[in-house]
Amino acid sequence: MKVDEVKVPLREVRKAIKEFYNPDEWHFITVNGTDLGGKVELKWFFAKYGEKEVFKVFTAEAGYDDEIPTITYIIPSAWISEWELADLLGLNVEGAKKGLFLEPDSPQAPLRRG
Amino acid sequence: MGKKITIPFGSQHVALPEPIRFVFQTENEKIVDVDVDVGYVHRGIEKACMTKFKYMQVGYVVARVCGLCAISHTLAYVTAVERLMGIEVPKRALYLRILVSELDRIHSHLLAMGHLAEVAGYENLFMHTFRDRELVMELQELVTGNRIQFDYACIGGVNRDLTPEVEKELREKLKTLKEKVLWLKDVYENDYSIKYRWKGVGVITKEMAKELNVVGPPARASGLATDVRNEFDYLPFKEVGYRMVVRDEGDVYARNMVRAEETVNSIEMLFNVLDGMPEGDIKVNVKGLPEGESFVRIEAPRGELFYYVRGNKKMVLERLRIRVPTFANIPVMRELFVGMEYADVPAVVISFDPCLSCTAR
Repeated sequence: MKVDEVKVPLREVRKAIKEFYNPDEWHFITVNGTDLGGKVELKWFFAKYGEKEVFKVFTAEAGYDDEIPTITYIIPSAWISEWELADLLGLNVEGAKKGLFLEPDSPQAPLRRG
Repeated sequence: MGKKITIPFGSQHVALPEPIRFVFQTENEKIVDVDVDVGYVHRGIEKACMTKFKYMQVGYVVARVCGLCAISHTLAYVTAVERLMGIEVPKRALYLRILVSELDRIHSHLLAMGHLAEVAGYENLFMHTFRDRELVMELQELVTGNRIQFDYACIGGVNRDLTPEVEKELREKLKTLKEKVLWLKDVYENDYSIKYRWKGVGVITKEMAKELNVVGPPARASGLATDVRNEFDYLPFKEVGYRMVVRDEGDVYARNMVRAEETVNSIEMLFNVLDGMPEGDIKVNVKGLPEGESFVRIEAPRGELFYYVRGNKKMVLERLRIRVPTFANIPVMRELFVGMEYADVPAVVISFDPCLSCTAR
């Protein structure tokens, strides 16, 4: 498996993805959040079309109060993964609505630790 | 300009027995806006797998994400853990995994095809398809012990071997199944009413498929040559005659035909699996605990299934992430609806073969 992982500061994620992303070559899989306790590690996964196990991953860390930049300007389908982050990790994602999965009376940010 | 009417489609609908709700804003029966709600059955499975269950048990938990796709979920999880722990799975187990995952694809595709015939009002074809699907259900039960919710793959291999009696019955029933599927494919391909009802409806262009990162049969029906069986080495599909099915019309008809052709290819692969089944063990012992991160892609019947696993040398995982194919296809569904006639909604929704128990895992 060939994984090119790039660590970027949160505020530069959108710029880095914009410079890299070409929809003819790369398939956006998802953005994943992992709670590290007090902060969250975010990973944006891309796979190369037609090639065996070639991936590009952008990694950034964010605090609970940070605004996570949206990449829907570059990848229109990313909204659903971003809304999921807003719901399940309670993150403040630019332009994301809450309520894709959770109801107002259900446990909030269930994937946060503690 | 007509009167605007709001029409909810779901969360329970005759054409879609799944808990998803689309709220359509229509004007003269044309859809002008749509809202999606997928959260009716969210079960917190990811959270449970990170708190309640040990990593060896998680494969059995994720099999409960969905009855239909149970094989794919377990396979994705065990493959991710095996890669993380450097476990080499015996070749016989890999072949047995192909056997069950292709059986799973056949029954799932036949379900989607039958369901699509039903919403087109073609009850007879729906019944024929479901009757023939029963053969696959019997085969799955023979091999795994269950009709659905199969706990077949485990970390290090598979849980059951193939006996000579089961193999004999498999071959016989697969022969019958192939004849029936070829007949069904012919009907779906050439029936005048079906063509009239599905051709040109719900078209996803290749550009749209790329821009919205469509996965699975809907992507391949739009000319986008992407199939995880071709792009990720989780099982030796090339050794058993896998070929990618791509069409370029992008409509409901093409999505259905991709499934029909893939079903035929899966049956061919199953014969090759049985002919080339290696001798040897079906599982290896697993030692140690998972440490670090790993991710895999699997081609589930509905498309790309993505699993991310992170362990820190404890019995319980630090993170398990599941991204299912229907979740990936919701953005294009939403985009597609705008400008479409409301009457086409059931056919278009079902042509994606949506699985909401997977989405709201």
